[in-house]
Amino acid sequence: MNALNSLLTWLALHGYWFIFAGLIAAFCVRDARKRRTLVRIMLVFGGILIGSIFLAAAYGKLKPLAGFPWSMRSVRTSILLFSMQVESYQILSPAASSLLAHVLPVFELVLGLWLVSGIWRRFSALLASLVFLGFMAAIAYAYFHGLHIECNCGVGPNEDVGPGALLRDGLKFLLPSLIVMWGSFWVRRAPSVTSAAPLPAATPAGASQ
Amino acid sequence: MDGRSLFRVTIPPLAVGPGGRLTLNLRSNSSRARYLSKGRRLPWPVLPILFVLILGLGVVSPSAIGRSGKAPRKASRVVEPVGPPVKAYGSKDAPITMEVFTDYQCPSCRNLYENTLRAMINDYVASGKVYLVHHDFPLPMHKYSYEAARWANAAARVGEFANVEAALYDNQDAWGADGNIAKYVSAAMSAAEFKRVEKLMEPCQGPISASDYAPGSARMVNVAQTDRGCPFDAYINADRAIGMRVPVQATPTYVITYKGQHLPPASGFVSWPILKQFFDSLLSQ
Repeated sequence: MNALNSLLTWLALHGYWFIFAGLIAAFCVRDARKRRTLVRIMLVFGGILIGSIFLAAAYGKLKPLAGFPWSMRSVRTSILLFSMQVESYQILSPAASSLLAHVLPVFELVLGLWLVSGIWRRFSALLASLVFLGFMAAIAYAYFHGLHIECNCGVGPNEDVGPGALLRDGLKFLLPSLIVMWGSFWVRRAPSVTSAAPLPAATPAGASQ
Repeated sequence: MDGRSLFRVTIPPLAVGPGGRLTLNLRSNSSRARYLSKGRRLPWPVLPILFVLILGLGVVSPSAIGRSGKAPRKASRVVEPVGPPVKAYGSKDAPITMEVFTDYQCPSCRNLYENTLRAMINDYVASGKVYLVHHDFPLPMHKYSYEAARWANAAARVGEFANVEAALYDNQDAWGADGNIAKYVSAAMSAAEFKRVEKLMEPCQGPISASDYAPGSARMVNVAQTDRGCPFDAYINADRAIGMRVPVQATPTYVITYKGQHLPPASGFVSWPILKQFFDSLLSQ
C-alpha cells in the first residue's frame, strides 16, 4: 500500500511535466493523423496522472494515523481529523465541515478512478478542473482572511495556505487538468482522419502568408 | 552453657519488661516473686525522671516541631513554590494530551479558548479524558503578549493560572489596547494572592519590546540567556523552544498525543463539537 501511495504521490506531483511535454509535442506535429494519435495517447496518460492526484489525496485523507492499524475505526478517526482541518478554513459551519470531510475523500476516490478509467474523460476532466478551482478558491479565501493554517491538501508535503500553495495547485493540478479537458473535447470535435483537413495549428509556419 | 541458661542468669526480671517476662521460665517468675516477697517495691523515684526524659524527647523529636510554639510562625510565612509554573489542566494520566501553543493577544487563540477549550476543560478535562497543557508562544507582532505571558506564569506559580488565563482572554481587547494587564490579573484573584503575584513580578521590570523576542534575533538570544532578571522569561522561552521544534508556524497550534502517539500538529480554530467527535473516535480505538 505504501509503495502504491508513493507511486501515486510521485505521479501527482511530477505528472504535469508529461502533460506539458505532450501538449508541446502535439503542437509540433504537423500531420493531423499523427497529432490526433498523439493527443489520444496524451489523454490516456493525462487521465491517469490527474486521476492519481485524486487517488493520492483520497488515500492521504483516509489512511490511518501513524501507529494505528487499518480498520473502520481508524479510518473514521482520520476522517474526523480531516474535518478539523476543513473547519480550520472557517468557511463552513461545524456540521457542514464534518459532512464535507466525510464526503470528499470518497468523492476523490471515485473521481480518481473515473479519470483513470477514461470513460467520458472530457466530463471527468471538467469535474476535476472545477474541483481544483474550488480548492484554490478555499486556499485564497483563507490566505486573504489572514488565516495561518496548513493547506491539508493531502498530496505531498504539507504547506501553509498562501501563494506557494496556490501556485502549486494552479501549475501542477489545475493547468494539467484543463489541458486534459481541452484535449478530450478537441479529440471528440476534431474531424476524422479519413476526411482530415489540416488543423490551423498544424499548418506550417508562413503557409498562410 | 546454652543461650537459654545465659539469658536466665544475666537478665534481671524487672529490667526485662513484659516481653522478657514472657520468655522467662518459671524460675524467673519465681525470682520476681521472691524479689517482691522480700518487701521490696518498684523504684518509684525513677518514674519522675523517666517522665521528664520522655517529655524531653517529645519536645526535641522532629514530629513535635510542628506543634511547638515556634513552628506556626514559620509556617505562616508564604514560601513560593520552586520549579516551572504549572500551566496545565487535568490529570497527566489522561489518555489524550493536548498541548496548545498560544499567544494571549492573538484573536484566534481567544476564539479557540472561549469556544472550544473552555468547554473542553469543563467536560473532557474534568472527566479525566484529556490533559490540556498550555505553552506560551508570544508573537513579536503583538505588543503586550510577552508581558501577558509573564503575568500568566506568575499566576501559575501561586496556583491561579486558570483564572488569569480566562481573564486575559475575556479582556483581550481592553488590555491589548492600553497594556494594563495587572488590572485584569488582580480582578481574577484575591487581594492576598495578587500581592504574591506582584511580588513575583517585581524583577520583571517594564514591558519587553517586540524586537527583543523576534525569532532568531540576536537580542532574543540575549534575553533567553540573561532573562533580564525576570524569573518567568526562562519558562516562556523554553515553551517557545518547544514550539520551534513542533514547528509552530502560527498561533494557535495544537499537538494531540494519544497514549504516547503524537498526531500531526494542527493550527487554527476548531470547534468543540468537531474536536469532541475526534476525541471520542480516539478513545474508541
